[in-house]
Amino acid sequence: MYQVILCFAAWLCLFGTVDAAEPTGLQIMTSVDQREDGDTLQQHMKQILIDRNGRERVRQMMSFRKDVGVDKKMISFFLEPANIRDTALLTFDYDNEKTDDDQWLYLPALKKVRRISASDRGDYFMGTDFSFEDMKQTPELTDYSWKLLGSDVLNGHDCWKVQGEPASQSLGQELGYSKIIQYVRKTSAVVVRVDYWDLAQRPLKTMRMLELKEIQGIWTPLKIEMVNAQSSHETVIELSDHVYNGDIADKKFSQRSLKRGYRGH
Amino acid sequence: MKCFFELTIKYAWWVLLLLALMTTGFITQMPKLHLETNIEEMLPKNMDAYLNKQRLEKDFNAADMVVIGVLKKDTEGIYNAHSLALVDELTQWLRTRKEFRTLALADLMSLSTIKNIRGTADGMEVEEFMTVPALSSDDIEQLRHQLEVNGLYIGSIVSADGTGTLIVVRPAAEYLGKYHEVYQVLSDKIEEIKQRGGPEELLITGRPVIEGVFGVYMPRDMQKMQPMILLLLVILLAVSFRSVRGVLIPLTVVILSEIWMLGTMAAMGVPVYTVTTMLPILILAIGIADSVHVLTHIRVEAGRDASLSRGESIVLAMQAMWAPILMTTLTTAAGFLAMLSSELIPMQYFGVFAAVGIVYAFILTVLFIPAIEAVLPKREKALDKLAFTAYLSWITHAVVHRSRQILAAFAVLILISAYGLTQLNVDSSLIHQFNPSDPLRQADVVLNDHFAGTNTLDITIDTDQDDGVLEPSFLKALLKLQGIAESNPLVGDSSSIAESLAEMNKVMHDGDEAWHVAPASSELAAQYLLLYSFSGAPDDFDTFVTSDYRQAHIRIQLKSDASADADFLVQSLKGKAELLFPQMRLEYAGTAYTALRFSDLVIHGQIMSLLLAMSLIFALCCWMFRSLKDAALAMLPVSMAVVVDYGMMGLLDIPLEIGTAITGAMALGIGVDFAIHYLYRYRCHEKLGMAYQDVVARSNEETGRAILFNALVVIGGFMVLLTANLYPQVKLGALVSGSMLVCYLASCYLFPILLRGRVSSS
Repeated sequence: MYQVILCFAAWLCLFGTVDAAEPTGLQIMTSVDQREDGDTLQQHMKQILIDRNGRERVRQMMSFRKDVGVDKKMISFFLEPANIRDTALLTFDYDNEKTDDDQWLYLPALKKVRRISASDRGDYFMGTDFSFEDMKQTPELTDYSWKLLGSDVLNGHDCWKVQGEPASQSLGQELGYSKIIQYVRKTSAVVVRVDYWDLAQRPLKTMRMLELKEIQGIWTPLKIEMVNAQSSHETVIELSDHVYNGDIADKKFSQRSLKRGYRGH
Repeated sequence: MKCFFELTIKYAWWVLLLLALMTTGFITQMPKLHLETNIEEMLPKNMDAYLNKQRLEKDFNAADMVVIGVLKKDTEGIYNAHSLALVDELTQWLRTRKEFRTLALADLMSLSTIKNIRGTADGMEVEEFMTVPALSSDDIEQLRHQLEVNGLYIGSIVSADGTGTLIVVRPAAEYLGKYHEVYQVLSDKIEEIKQRGGPEELLITGRPVIEGVFGVYMPRDMQKMQPMILLLLVILLAVSFRSVRGVLIPLTVVILSEIWMLGTMAAMGVPVYTVTTMLPILILAIGIADSVHVLTHIRVEAGRDASLSRGESIVLAMQAMWAPILMTTLTTAAGFLAMLSSELIPMQYFGVFAAVGIVYAFILTVLFIPAIEAVLPKREKALDKLAFTAYLSWITHAVVHRSRQILAAFAVLILISAYGLTQLNVDSSLIHQFNPSDPLRQADVVLNDHFAGTNTLDITIDTDQDDGVLEPSFLKALLKLQGIAESNPLVGDSSSIAESLAEMNKVMHDGDEAWHVAPASSELAAQYLLLYSFSGAPDDFDTFVTSDYRQAHIRIQLKSDASADADFLVQSLKGKAELLFPQMRLEYAGTAYTALRFSDLVIHGQIMSLLLAMSLIFALCCWMFRSLKDAALAMLPVSMAVVVDYGMMGLLDIPLEIGTAITGAMALGIGVDFAIHYLYRYRCHEKLGMAYQDVVARSNEETGRAILFNALVVIGGFMVLLTANLYPQVKLGALVSGSMLVCYLASCYLFPILLRGRVSSS
């Protein structure tokens, strides 16, 4: 084992001296993963679901997130359309992969809170074109083997082009991808575009960050689109009214709060 | 015309060069030929079944699905680790193939993908039924139990008796029209699994598979039958002419006609349909007649007057023959062109290109034969040893001396056929286009036995208001209509958005069966759908409801794709549906509906094309014989053949369908030639004032041989179709050769007897 580490160190030195400016794919993705995203966040989310015939369905909601240690708690209140107003979702996202997330949904028409099963990582997020996994800032770094493909200029910004391939076949099946390519801005470590390939190696989806803004010192997406090349279905998510690191009480993330609904704060 | 043939002979090499160039031109077009196996593409573009299907695909993202059945017919059934691992292997394999679309649950349904929505003490669990690999016997027992409690997938994914399970997958959009490739990939995989050995039986079906198999069989049939018919022609020509030249010249004429016809089809971008795969065979069998008549006559002229130069004898023969062969070409073409009155696109193309091919055969006969005969050295002997001479004089004897018996025999035949006509059935079924012994047809039977049904009737309902589908009253009506449909014994299952919402309603009320009803409010329905979206793909419910919730779709699964069954179901639903959904637009589509409308078109086109063919041919005969009475007489033998044709169908329980319906017009166009040739000769001799017996004898001698040849080629040629993989071809082959036999007998035996009265009256 000692020898392996020694070898690895020697290897690092060798390549490190040849081209000090070129990080590895994993290093780039680690920097993305470690990018600051605030301890708490409140934001307004508008989901525009566009079907292949161009018909749009719009949902609006208010979301709150709070980091509790390594875990995250989230609560979202639907505002529109009218027939799902006051429907609310509470999620406890545990960092430990072994533990399933907890999710509760409040259905106002039934006046009941119902626990719903944890979603699989490859599942679609609320019927959008994003999977639960896609919604995260970075995928689990260990799920993929990362490789730096080179640099590219996107919208005038220098980006790293990093390819991820699922670390195992079963992981690929779980995630639903055979390959992803991430474009990461060199200056801010923000992922601005991701291309996804399905298990038959066909292009599947493309995610693009359409608007980005620095809010309270944190690079924040304002508009993201995901286009499914195969189904021609697309989702645009618009985010606004961001408040980072605001004081959100723990009791906000409770079943009582679910029932109470969004009261404008 | 004399001038024309003299020029042809003078510039024989140039004519041959021109024909060679044209042939090369047509050959260069051939690679453009492609197959069309999609049945909707055969419907007129303004027909409801076609339009509704298009709308169903656009609005509801509906698609024809490939069905793979895994069966194990013993007490344990498919509930064992080996079978379930096989299902999972196939499912994962499908995910990695570009031929399939596997985006959403609705794209790929199998035991490995379906999810169980289950009520728990404090909420709802959505989880996969099957976690693979390595299922313990406890897990398997649990799986079976869960499937039975859930109930939603019994009949659609697993059979009620547990002996089989289905994998239902959607072909990728890029493969539309290339289903034969999808089929090939799938059957290779199935073969690979079979090679491994295992207790499971694997079956495939579904519309894309059926169309794919058509796509595989069509070129195979064409390749198989082509050499058979050529061999038949070689034998008949060798017997008739007893010289190499006598075989090769007519053969060249028909092969060139075939190339020209296919080249024209290719250049015009017309695809090959199942019925038009018969065209090459048809052209070879019918086109040969012209050249045989001409060649025979050239030999007759050359033998008659040895002093004639080679060119002179050719010109004389061509002058004598061009008119009758033009006439028979026109009558045959008219019979085929009458198919234009059908609204079915393949029928129209069949008619047009058969006519085109026949005309090409005529053009090649009058250009190629004189030119090649002029160029080739004079070598052939006169026709002294003629075949069938004894048989032909026997006909004369029979006609003159046994007329009563002949009349009686035909009277009996007509009576039997007339009875048969009353038994005639109509049915259009895609799966019945395969031989009963075909693996695909057997797979369809087995899968329909065990599962909800491989055919669909789709009903779409437009509420004309946003979120209209979510209204409780609308959902209740949907459930009610499903109930009515499911009371039909041929209906295996039906599905709609209402069913899924009722299921969720039940689950959210602690699994209480009393709550398996439409949600109480539109809001609750919307919230359930949001809830579902947490575990589904964006387009999971697209199949059943449009994203604005204005339109809903009910899919009814049928165990039969016969148009008669579809007709019964549609009739029983239509009135009730209109009561349940007043003032809403209701539309019908699906494989069952297509079959029903297809069948309507077949019948309608059938009657129209037969009437049109009759009138066109009658008009041509009037023009040719300048006599209404003779024209009517010339139509008689072939009309009899047509009656016998449909009579046979009634008696043998062969329904009218795309293949068999065209046999009437076809028989009419081909068969009338016999009588025309006969009557032509008969009138020539009659004018000379010969006695009846001599007129019959001379006519038999001079034209009876060519008619016999013609009849043998046509009967034999259509019998070649009996070897086809496609069942309509087989049935058509049997019917046309049968009716051509009747037509031949009527022309040579009955016809002279009927003409007898004509002699005495004139």
